[in-house]
Amino acid sequence: MEHLRWRPSVNEREFIESALQSDLRVDGRHSFDFRKLKISFGREDGSSEVQLGETHVLGYVTAQLVQPYRDRANEGTLAIFTEFSPMADPAFEPGRPGESAIELGRVIDRGLRESRAVDMESLCVVAGKHVWSVRVDLHILDNGGNLIDAANIAALAALSTFRRPECTVGGDDGQQVIVHDPEVRDPLPLTIHHMPIAVTFAYFGEGNIVVVDPTYKEEAVMGGRMTATINSNGDICAIQKAGGEGVMSSVVMQCLRIASVKAADITSKIKKAVDSYTTEKALKKVKRLPASLPQKVIVTDVTMEDKGDDELETQTVKTPSDAQEKSKGDEDRQNIKGNSPLTGDRIAKHKQTSTFSGGPSNWDPYSKGVSLSSLRISQLTDLATTVKASSHEDAQPMLTESANAEVKITSSSGAAGESEEAQEIGSPKSLKDAIKPKHKRKKNKK
Amino acid sequence: MESRKPPPSPLVDSYVVPGDVVLDLSEMINQTIKLGMGLRQECDTIQATSAGMLRLSKPNKYWVESSQKRYVPSVEDTVLGVVVDTKPDNFLVDIKGPNVAFLPVLSFEGGTRRNIPKFEIGTLIYARVVKANSFMNPELSCMDAAGKAAEFGQLKGGYMFDTSTGMSRMLLSSPACPVLEALGKKLSFEIAVGLNGRVWVNAPAPSTVILVSNAIMRSESLSGIKQRAMVENLLERLS
Repeated sequence: MEHLRWRPSVNEREFIESALQSDLRVDGRHSFDFRKLKISFGREDGSSEVQLGETHVLGYVTAQLVQPYRDRANEGTLAIFTEFSPMADPAFEPGRPGESAIELGRVIDRGLRESRAVDMESLCVVAGKHVWSVRVDLHILDNGGNLIDAANIAALAALSTFRRPECTVGGDDGQQVIVHDPEVRDPLPLTIHHMPIAVTFAYFGEGNIVVVDPTYKEEAVMGGRMTATINSNGDICAIQKAGGEGVMSSVVMQCLRIASVKAADITSKIKKAVDSYTTEKALKKVKRLPASLPQKVIVTDVTMEDKGDDELETQTVKTPSDAQEKSKGDEDRQNIKGNSPLTGDRIAKHKQTSTFSGGPSNWDPYSKGVSLSSLRISQLTDLATTVKASSHEDAQPMLTESANAEVKITSSSGAAGESEEAQEIGSPKSLKDAIKPKHKRKKNKK
Repeated sequence: MESRKPPPSPLVDSYVVPGDVVLDLSEMINQTIKLGMGLRQECDTIQATSAGMLRLSKPNKYWVESSQKRYVPSVEDTVLGVVVDTKPDNFLVDIKGPNVAFLPVLSFEGGTRRNIPKFEIGTLIYARVVKANSFMNPELSCMDAAGKAAEFGQLKGGYMFDTSTGMSRMLLSSPACPVLEALGKKLSFEIAVGLNGRVWVNAPAPSTVILVSNAIMRSESLSGIKQRAMVENLLERLS
């Protein structure tokens, strides 16, 4: 049997209509009340989950570098995709999007794009060549009525937590685009000028009765529907009134006034949810740093090339736990420094000629960037031989690594003591500095 | 020798999931047990096939009680159905099951070819399941076993809403469910509960109907004391 749109029984239909005549709604709300709104966020940036009463919508934002449209060479793109899961409602068919899916996507798209809520020009990387294309996926997980409003909130919440990776232009011809790893550079949020909130009204009884945020059952009974997309300043971004009963213009004006109040209310709710999410995320980030330390240290690996054998030995005598403690303390500084290890690296290289005191023979050739893993392996064998006498458990790779870390940190704090100053005095490092090592590696491979 | 007291399953009144071995038949010789919903025999064991609470009706009836939105028809259940189509011989009734149920036009008290009731599409019907198996559409009847109407038939007016099957079983349980008891002390209303998770409420004032229906829908995950408190809270708001 084919499941078509759910039809209410005669009793429900009559009761909903008669109760509305006496200004009562079946879920006990007043005519202009929204259902309970709950906004939560996923583990990753740019995902949101919105529950509006029984309605459940998941929003997910992703971005990709693409070539822009020819007529808008310096603007990014924003596209809305909707997915109506058959799980949400038996009326939704898998595969091709239905009428309601298309309508929903277009209403949200219109509200967001034509009001220029998201700044498109800031998504441009190289005019005419590379722009960010932002894709918003909206998954309807449960249909409890008023999908448009819930999906719109989900899209806004996802967009306001979305972070795109930072990217810079550089390279030989100055046209190469480098996308920075989120670990290296903090990803950037989108610029959102205002929040267009969709508010849906349902009309009953020849357009005389108006309710806001209709439920599933009310949607099945209603005579007409209008969606007004409006921001907290009261600017109307879009209106959708598809068929159904005709409505008096005075009623439409009244609806718009109500919508602007509701929009301000929902905007504040979204902002509150987003703020609490970002602060939580920021707190987590601080906590997480010690775990990612080894990785960072390896990046700074090259700084130690000018340190002699004796120093290596003296430092590795220290217990690994000691080393780790110290490294934790140092770490804050390291992070604040940002790309100072790289500048340190360069300074170290300059010094190399004068202060070179004869490291391990296989040390030097590797310093200019062979794959990091091979470098680490060579170090391991090295340390094992040089340090055997002084430390007891050095044979374990873990320990050598942490001892290694200690060396680097002290060296970087020694060498970078100067380098830090050098950096502070000099102009803030441009993007080209950040990409140099990468570049060299490429050359070497060739 | 047949022992008079078969040892009950250790899992009675606890939650089981599909695959749980409920009873080991190899230890129970010359005993009869009766299996209900959600249980099946697998060689020498009885296993659960659905998740829910294992129930035992002394001395030997076992079944699994679960709460879900989908209703699986079983004989002698009373259900609330919505007419989706009328055919010369049958009304097609939606009872929230996997298939539509047939309600023969003659299965009403004193039903003959001459006095076939006229049900438009969307009519709400309170009926009894008389045939339910996995190969045919379930069959309903608007008569009790004695051939009397016994409150079955069309429900007029009022409001119908959906809950889970577990909730409707709770409403029908005796002693009366706390939410209904608390509501009944202050308000007068009419209620029909179908085991398929549909509940129909009628009262002279629409506000009473709305209050009762919301109280019932909210009480699903509440304990008895909380249900009473919630009802009192709602009644206060009304007055």
